[in-house]
Amino acid sequence: MKEIVYYFERDMLRWLRGRVSVVSALIAPAAWLIFVGLALPTTFSEHYIDFITPGILVMTMLGVSLQGGSLLVFDKILGFLNKFLALPSSRESILFGKILFITTRGLIQATVILVLAWALGASLFSLPVVLLSYGILALFGVLLSAFSTTIALYLSDHDSYAAFNAMVSMPLFFTSSALMPYSVMPPWLSAIAYWNPVSFAIDAIRSLQEGVIAWTRIGALALLALLVVAFCVRKFRRVTI
Amino acid sequence: MVPIETSGLTKYYGDLCAVDHLDLSVGNEIFGLLGPNGSGKTTTVLMLTTLLEPTRGSARICGFDTRDEAQEVRRQLSYVPQEMAVDVKLTGRENVSLFAKLYGIAGRDEAVDRALGMMDLSERADDLVRTYSGGMRRRLELAQALVHEPKVLFLDEPTLGLDVASRRRIWDHIRTLRSRGMTIFVTTHYMDEADASCDRVAILDRGRVVAMDSPAALRARVGKDVISVRVTGSVRGPFPEGIEYLGGRGDGEAVFSTDCGSEKVPLLFRWLEERGVTVRSISVHEPTLDDIFLALVPTREDGYGFDDHKFRTMLRRR
Repeated sequence: MKEIVYYFERDMLRWLRGRVSVVSALIAPAAWLIFVGLALPTTFSEHYIDFITPGILVMTMLGVSLQGGSLLVFDKILGFLNKFLALPSSRESILFGKILFITTRGLIQATVILVLAWALGASLFSLPVVLLSYGILALFGVLLSAFSTTIALYLSDHDSYAAFNAMVSMPLFFTSSALMPYSVMPPWLSAIAYWNPVSFAIDAIRSLQEGVIAWTRIGALALLALLVVAFCVRKFRRVTI
Repeated sequence: MVPIETSGLTKYYGDLCAVDHLDLSVGNEIFGLLGPNGSGKTTTVLMLTTLLEPTRGSARICGFDTRDEAQEVRRQLSYVPQEMAVDVKLTGRENVSLFAKLYGIAGRDEAVDRALGMMDLSERADDLVRTYSGGMRRRLELAQALVHEPKVLFLDEPTLGLDVASRRRIWDHIRTLRSRGMTIFVTTHYMDEADASCDRVAILDRGRVVAMDSPAALRARVGKDVISVRVTGSVRGPFPEGIEYLGGRGDGEAVFSTDCGSEKVPLLFRWLEERGVTVRSISVHEPTLDDIFLALVPTREDGYGFDDHKFRTMLRRR
């Protein structure tokens, strides 16, 4: 189990020492919140910033988690993965180290958004709501980073990974309930959006704002995360080069 | 306990045979696996380090089966791949320390200091690896590999891309490790290095061992002397008695072996001129592994039956 922390430390140190990546990670989600949250003309909500904040939070986790798979792609291309796989420590700790790092980095970015949303006048944030939101975001981050890291295990170069990322991230985001409520979606979209895991997380956080804990959405997210992580652990244990 | 033992070790990529029934038994020695690119050296190392599953056959490291007891095998060995994989944003000490932690070593700080000291990196240990030269980075990788004092060390092309002085230094370190009782399995295509430092070498060609012996014994197989001739025109047999054609290299070089080189030179010269071949230079030297290699591994032009598509498939899947 300690190995997970060691792999995490390595990624964290490397990230923190690349100043550009840290600055970019903090500015990019802010830009989304400001431009989308304040600029988009909306008719279904008087206080769009309240509505959009959960969407941007989950979108950031989505982007960060899918992007995070490239960490493993580079470890693989540069020869680190071979060295790690030849170690006696358990192989799934490589996976869990990545999940921990990617999710932590996502939560740091989520914090930037929460602070900014609060500064921009978003209401409805109490301490329990914020804490539970972090929990939901962490769960979502675990799901997506496990998925992306395992996909990375099977792709041999960064171009293929970027192609995979582009193919997955945009459709997942735009077919979710991030930008508009189900009531204003065309029926075909609302059906897809309802079953999109991205919406599980967004809906759960929105319910929190209204003072409701949406157990079915959280449960669906947790179940999916559990299944995906279990699958990924199996893959990591058996992987050969 | 035999450090490395394989029996019938075989790896297919699709229908391409990368390693073909490899039988090795490596003791406490520096064992060199030599061969041209794509001959199966790296595939062999990957199978021995449990990173790749053999199609057939088996391998044991210190008595543990690489397939059934992979975890135990990984405890016995260290593996330094071809790519120089050190984190440039971390310091040398942090790089080694990561491995010490992952190996779960007791007395971690001392072990890290010792490994860094052994590779002469103590003074620069706290600098970012970004500032290290290629030779230092390679030594840092060795320090990472040595931190848990493995019984068997696998080095895949350890001197690739290094300058002469750095190469010599790496080999000095490798010999020191052997003298401390470590088994070192090294792949290389630098014949001179293998010649100077390996206790035994195996020459691999298209996945098959074509020769395995000490460098001296292999050299003795070719005969006492080697005559190397640079010519314009093509060289064809049958050749005069007592002179054996080993093969051709680029730039019109033809290589022959014989028992008394200096006496055979005039004979060979006349023989070539009579056949309309212009001789540009002649030299006589003692056989090197390069010459053995030439004799044992046909070059592609010599009717290798080279399948470009298969070769690239193999490189990609290596």
